[in-house]
Amino acid sequence: MTLLAGSSACTTEDLEPSTEQNKPIEGGIISVSNLYGVLKGAYSMMTSSGYYGRDIIINGEVRGTDNCFSNGNSGRFTTEASLSYNPNSTYIWDNCYDVIASANVIIGTDATTLTGDMGEAEHYQGQAYVMRALAHYDLLRTYGQQHVGGTLGVPYVTEFKGEDLFPARESVSDNVTSIMADLDMGFSLMDDSYDDGSKQFISKFTAMAIKSRVAIYFGQWSVAATAAKAVIDSGDFSIVAASNFVSSWVGESAQNSIFELAFSATDNQGINGLAYIYRLGPNGSYGDVQVLDEVIDLYEDTDVRKDILGYEDDMLRNIGKYPNNQGYDNVPIIRYEEVVLNYAEALLETGDASGALTQLNLITSNRGATAYTVANKDNILNERRKELMFEGFRFDDLMRTGQDLVKTSLQQNILQTIPYGDSRLAYPIPRTEMDVNSNMEQNPGYGN
Amino acid sequence: MKSKFTWILTLFLAFGLQFSFAQEKTISGTVTDQDGLPLPGANVSVKGTARGTQTDFDGNYSLSASVGEVLTFSYIGQKSEERTVGTSSTINVQLMADSQALEEVVVLGYATTNKAELTGSTVQLNAEAIEQAPVASVDQVLQGKVAGLVITNSSGTPGSTTDIRIRGISSITAGNEPLYVIDGVPVVNNNVSATSSGSSLSPLASINPNNIESMTVLKDASATAAYGARGANGVIVITTKTGKSGKTVFNLSTSYGFSNDATDGPTVLTGAQREMLFYEALYNTYGAAYDFDIDGAQAFYEANTGSFGNDYVVWNAAGRPEAHWADVVTNRDAPIQEYNLSASGGDETSNFFASLGYYKQEATVIGSDFDRITGQLNFSKQLSPAFRFSTTNSASHSYQDGLLETSAYFSSPRTIKFFQPPIEMPYNEDGSINLNTTLPNPLWIAQEDIDDSKFTRIITNNSLTWDTPVENLSFTTRVNIDYQVYNYKRYRNRIDGDGSSTNGYGWQANRNRANYVFQNSVDYTWNVSDDHSFDFKVLQEYQKNRLYYLEADGDSFGDDGLTNLNSAGNPTTANSWYTDWAVASYMGLMHYSAFNGRYVFDATYRREGNSRFASDNRWGNFWSVGGAWNIHRESFLEGSNLFSNLKLRASYGVTGNANIDLNQYQALLNYDSDYAGEGASYPGTFGNNDLSWETSHTYDIGIEMGFFRNRITANVGYYNRESKDLLLDVPLSLTTGFTSQTRNIGRMENKGIEVEANFEIIRSNDFNLSIGGNFASNNNEVLELAKDAFGEEINITNGIKRVETGHTVYEWYMPSYAGVDPDTGVDLWYTDGEGSETTTTFSQANSVYQGSSALPTFTAGMNFHIDVKGFFLDAQGYYAGGHKVYEDWARYTNGRDLFTLLYYNGVDAILDRWQQPGDTGTRFGKMEFTTFPWQRDNKFLYDGDFFRLRNVTFGYDFNQDFLDTIGFSAARVFVRGTNMFTWVKDDRMKYDPETDATGYLKLATPPVKSVVFGVNLKF
Repeated sequence: MTLLAGSSACTTEDLEPSTEQNKPIEGGIISVSNLYGVLKGAYSMMTSSGYYGRDIIINGEVRGTDNCFSNGNSGRFTTEASLSYNPNSTYIWDNCYDVIASANVIIGTDATTLTGDMGEAEHYQGQAYVMRALAHYDLLRTYGQQHVGGTLGVPYVTEFKGEDLFPARESVSDNVTSIMADLDMGFSLMDDSYDDGSKQFISKFTAMAIKSRVAIYFGQWSVAATAAKAVIDSGDFSIVAASNFVSSWVGESAQNSIFELAFSATDNQGINGLAYIYRLGPNGSYGDVQVLDEVIDLYEDTDVRKDILGYEDDMLRNIGKYPNNQGYDNVPIIRYEEVVLNYAEALLETGDASGALTQLNLITSNRGATAYTVANKDNILNERRKELMFEGFRFDDLMRTGQDLVKTSLQQNILQTIPYGDSRLAYPIPRTEMDVNSNMEQNPGYGN
Repeated sequence: MKSKFTWILTLFLAFGLQFSFAQEKTISGTVTDQDGLPLPGANVSVKGTARGTQTDFDGNYSLSASVGEVLTFSYIGQKSEERTVGTSSTINVQLMADSQALEEVVVLGYATTNKAELTGSTVQLNAEAIEQAPVASVDQVLQGKVAGLVITNSSGTPGSTTDIRIRGISSITAGNEPLYVIDGVPVVNNNVSATSSGSSLSPLASINPNNIESMTVLKDASATAAYGARGANGVIVITTKTGKSGKTVFNLSTSYGFSNDATDGPTVLTGAQREMLFYEALYNTYGAAYDFDIDGAQAFYEANTGSFGNDYVVWNAAGRPEAHWADVVTNRDAPIQEYNLSASGGDETSNFFASLGYYKQEATVIGSDFDRITGQLNFSKQLSPAFRFSTTNSASHSYQDGLLETSAYFSSPRTIKFFQPPIEMPYNEDGSINLNTTLPNPLWIAQEDIDDSKFTRIITNNSLTWDTPVENLSFTTRVNIDYQVYNYKRYRNRIDGDGSSTNGYGWQANRNRANYVFQNSVDYTWNVSDDHSFDFKVLQEYQKNRLYYLEADGDSFGDDGLTNLNSAGNPTTANSWYTDWAVASYMGLMHYSAFNGRYVFDATYRREGNSRFASDNRWGNFWSVGGAWNIHRESFLEGSNLFSNLKLRASYGVTGNANIDLNQYQALLNYDSDYAGEGASYPGTFGNNDLSWETSHTYDIGIEMGFFRNRITANVGYYNRESKDLLLDVPLSLTTGFTSQTRNIGRMENKGIEVEANFEIIRSNDFNLSIGGNFASNNNEVLELAKDAFGEEINITNGIKRVETGHTVYEWYMPSYAGVDPDTGVDLWYTDGEGSETTTTFSQANSVYQGSSALPTFTAGMNFHIDVKGFFLDAQGYYAGGHKVYEDWARYTNGRDLFTLLYYNGVDAILDRWQQPGDTGTRFGKMEFTTFPWQRDNKFLYDGDFFRLRNVTFGYDFNQDFLDTIGFSAARVFVRGTNMFTWVKDDRMKYDPETDATGYLKLATPPVKSVVFGVNLKF
């Protein structure tokens, strides 16, 4: 008996599992190309349906705005459109922090220890900084209390598996400072000689373009003007001409694109993508997100942007943006026209109304629309609405200008006007986060 | 593994040198009963060895034994006898009736024992209870027959998996499924289906129930200890049939029957009802603002078709035809058929069992069926006086034509009645299928789309036993290979349905599993004296599982009717992966029996290593002790007329659970990602090098009683299982980029009582009547969870369930519904549970515990048997209760809004609605022209209690005189009804009460109600 028990036929080593699909994180990043792999992984997370693949863009349109509503055709987005969400949904909370975790893996890697081109490594780290800034900005505009009378922002996470695994919320202003710092850092680290020009990766001026967006949102007008001007002065981008406007939504790497996420025939969100929710299509899609009937009246007949709209039976639809019904189109994250409009608004706010008018009319003149005779806040917001329609900007524009969500149409999912400051204008922190992290504070108006 | 085989050789040599073989000769004779009649099938074995045989039909036997060896003669219901081999070659034995020792042999996997000497809690079903159950997957026969075992079907689609929970839930993250053992070897029993959106497929569906000799359910630590490391959730031991010496016996069994859904499910609105409610919604929402009354709603609608669509205008113009979608997709009286032919027999040195089987079952909806061909060959041969070779082999090929199910899939025939508007017709006027429907027409989908699973499984189990020259010491080595080949094919046609937007869609997946088990064991029996004997077993086992996966999909098919990827113009996925795991164990088992089994003591120890844990934490130690006192064998009860059996048993032990995902201990980068046409990576698992075994500490006590020569038997037991170091996916702050980390933390307790009783009211030669039943309770409580940085426990909320210390695991947790406001007709919720203030805003209603989980807190089984002169009637029922189930898709199917009234359809329960101020007690609020968001409250949480008449069998066994004239040895005809009657406590619950273990009524396929006619012939 002792003989048998004593003879170790199978040892601990016989029990070593294979890991054919994975590598250990420890020792898994030893070259610049390994770093590039993680970077692409982070981009891939941004394409997920819960983030830029669909939800964050749709939310910017349907959350009680005057652009779109959910007809509930497949039951999708009625909750968001009626602002009746609760903490059960994680919405973009998990998606954003996943991106941030990957960005932190890249940022936290000591580039000097890697084999390969150091400059290339820094270019990737620069992209990771911008990604981290953008993801935190998306969190902040979704969960931050800036429009509901509070001061809390979100945890700004800068380390992968760092010391504080239960972070508390920082203030909105601290978040903004961190975002700006990351964007500047990203800009300084990147070197566009490493950029492939595909627009599918963040480049140097993506950092500045996003900086102008964040600055506009938080009213840092001179910062916005400087950043936008830097993009414009780069000469790398141009406004797409009227004749090409509709077709610019088909295909890739258009001249007005600063940064777009890659979707292709083999890598797309399919039925969980933008096209499937914006249209019914000939074969039947979800088609929940319909356009309010009065949106058509925004556009002059000569305005090429009117061609983005169309009808399915008597339902007004987004026909032209993200046209491929399988979601094969790249999704622009920031395009040049937005930067021009950011610049116009920043100039107006810093006292240069004529400069603002010039910028504003660069848009109208390329769209077949009548030029404005004066630049004021309403005109700029109106032009932003028309130009950036269906791209997820409307809710934020209403919020940052302190406007109510006004019930003007029977079609809107909100039951009545929701005044600026209402607790529903901030998303609840997800219950899963609240359960785990007793440092986390819930937004007002949401139970357990 | 190299070192192991080296060692085997060493052992052979060692013993070979020390001992010489004894002289063997052939002994034969006849075994008779107390009346001198031959006893066919009596066991004759050489004591202390694995050698043995059975008597043939004339009671004759023959086997090899050496002078001085002791032959044991035994037969169920007779007193065993022993004879020492002397000079004579003939030993005839008469076995006297022993009513006190109607002892069943219980198969424990690695060992067998007779029931009196069992210290653990087990239930065994023998072949008769298993054969010819009209089910594809054999585990389903366990329902209601084992106290403390809860079995639920994930779906009534033939071949689907079942969820089995033995004595509750022991783990929050790790699996709660029992371990399955076939012919002494642990097997993998995961769902083999490649799709999560379609029918599941159980590996057990590949096993022919007719080849099974017994199924034993091992429940407590003592019974499961031999499998200790993986026994925390109980063990189900399946043993296949073996042949018996004697003339070859053929068994032909056939059955044919029909099945329908066991329950009809909810009734949906007719077109006319739906239209009426639609106008009511218009009136309720717009009547005041646009100044019309309820009678004016239709006119308002028809005047505003631009806003409201014209569905009902079209329908009225067409003459208001009703579609009856539920009827057109039903496969009424779906056939079930089964054919089995087996042969078994043997001679002095060998025996065999061989069978061929065919089973086919159509689903109760169109477009789905299951069939299976099986073959079994079990063979055992005494190679030489010292060596016995034994092999069991089964091969099967199953085919499952599945369907989309278990969620609200628009193209599924299972959901169509809930979603397809009843005002759209299945067929065009010319009789062709109407493809112009809102949702894909399931008639077309069933005809054109493909969801096929093909599953081939081969299990071969080979052992060699050496009766060593050392008396009572034998050595066995065993190799088992379980090889599974699975192929899945999905195709979506180009014309209508899920493939139409991509011009067709195809997906194929291939999954091959190779599972090897190597065992070496030594058995030794030490008879200290007539009054004391010990059985020892030492075993070493190594198991390796390899899983290979390959899949591809594509779209843009070139033409209709071409369904293979060869014709897909746009390949979209190519994917393959490989995973493995390994388990190594050492096990020692001791069984001590004193004074003819009056006192029994068992001790078991198992050390097991598992590849799921980091190398420093790979090994775990598991053990149990158990004792039994057969009081009826004490002298003071000898000859007692009252007690024919009185036994106390108790056990305590530690068992384990490692059933978590692979590679969780490692912090890994995943590479199954891509961006812009290139591969990409991301952090995949958080990792935890400290990860190790979850353990369950169980004590179990019981008393077993038999009265009046076992006319009345009753067993009462109590168990308490505390699971510690739970393998728990502890939620992480999502700010880490991870959702959870698997850790060993937390405790949970399951306890309950189990009662089994049987009463043979009449026991005679040609008239028997008995009733019996079992009852089991289970109380679950979470005792401890992980804590966050502030020492506060981290509760786990999973939708509308929550895990929190002091509550049942995954107790239902959601806002409580407060009814309909009688003045306004809108829904009300309690802000903080029943009795608190009410609110009309759902988000202001806090979630509260609802008092129970999805797991029944008590179950009961009932059985009844009567036979009179060959006619027999068996009935068996099952009750489960104390749990709650949730109607998962109520937002759509029970919507008082446009989901029901315009986009889809809904159940007719919503007719019980608020219509005008002052209406009270209606189940539903007013109809509204809107769409409500998800609002999961307890309005749709129902009591889960149900009773089901599981089986009723009526049959006739032809008498021996008649059989002799036609040359058969046995013949039986029967008719069996399954699930003939179902009762539910909560009359709001219209779905079938048997949900899967999650407790969600998710539009699942109900079990079937079937009537099967069968004939069994033995010749």
